[in-house]
Amino acid sequence: MADKESVSNQMTVIARAPFHLYYEGPAESVTAVNKIGKFDILPGHADFFSMLDPGEVVIGTNTDQVVFTIHNGIITVRDNEVMLFVNM
Amino acid sequence: MSRASAIEKESVQISTIQDLTGVFESIASTQVAKVKNKVDLSGEFFQLLWDRYRSIRIDPASRITARALGDEKARKVYVIISAEAGLSGDIDLRLIETMMQNYDPKTTDIIVLGSHGANQLTQRGIHFERFFQVPETDKYINVDPVIEAVMPYSQIIVYYEEYISLGVQEIKSIDLISRMKTLGETDDSSEEIMTAEDTIFEPSLDEIADRMEMTMMTIALSQAILESNLAQAASRFNSMAVAKKRATELLTDYQLEFHRAKRSESDRRLREVMISIKKKKAHAKGIH
Repeated sequence: MADKESVSNQMTVIARAPFHLYYEGPAESVTAVNKIGKFDILPGHADFFSMLDPGEVVIGTNTDQVVFTIHNGIITVRDNEVMLFVNM
Repeated sequence: MSRASAIEKESVQISTIQDLTGVFESIASTQVAKVKNKVDLSGEFFQLLWDRYRSIRIDPASRITARALGDEKARKVYVIISAEAGLSGDIDLRLIETMMQNYDPKTTDIIVLGSHGANQLTQRGIHFERFFQVPETDKYINVDPVIEAVMPYSQIIVYYEEYISLGVQEIKSIDLISRMKTLGETDDSSEEIMTAEDTIFEPSLDEIADRMEMTMMTIALSQAILESNLAQAASRFNSMAVAKKRATELLTDYQLEFHRAKRSESDRRLREVMISIKKKKAHAKGIH
């Protein structure tokens, strides 16, 4: 039961630049910045496409945080799968 | 026959050349491995982005990939990706020769990346519209100035060098816009469509699509640059391997000649000693 709950509290995240893989795996949250401001993506988020503004991206996993800086990017959320295309 | 000391001197110089070509060979080999990794990473990135792009539906007539349809009189451009410096074997020469087979100055402009290609064009008296240094590939390829320069043209043909294997590099050309268009028209019924009705787009679907197309064009051009880098590194590796082999053969020849000269010198000295002993003996007999 506990396993099932932890799976539903997670989403798959892939964050990469053309020549660099920042993160690929399960995560609990993604924080980034777009024109409107800072936003969070949590498991179960609606399908979403957004251009990203320069700033910090934080990917929260159940053990750690992956933090990196971007100068541009696109984030897409679809069926609990988050993709970040950054520093292009 | 040259003196052994002179041969030894020359042999040391050849040995230095052998060492240097060996160093260049291993640098080229490391570069091949490094760039190959980047080509793979960038290919994966492009594929993921492309999959996402295909899942959104946009009006094809308004896209960047469709703009070439309108103006048939507009000029086209050849983008030539060559090496930044020499020591790249004969591959740039083949690149220019391939491009020349299709080049018509009345309809086409040339934009060249890399000093080596620019020099080759100048030597042949071929005018080029713009020159760019090959963008730095160690961390990030900034091809924005090149994209900006090619956007006004109706057709963008990129000539570049493709790495097939360490021993084989081929000249390739791609039409950037047609390639994107063809990919865009590929029907993939398994791809679930995302529309503004069920997806949030910020700032808007069109702006995101524009950005994705520009990014993919940038990546396509960056990939051509990387492929060229890879092919040039392989070509350089081959040139250095040939030079090292030649230096090794020369060194063997010189060592053989050195030993012959040394032997001949010691034979001569021995002969001189023998003659001198004989003379001394004859002289001693004469005295007694």
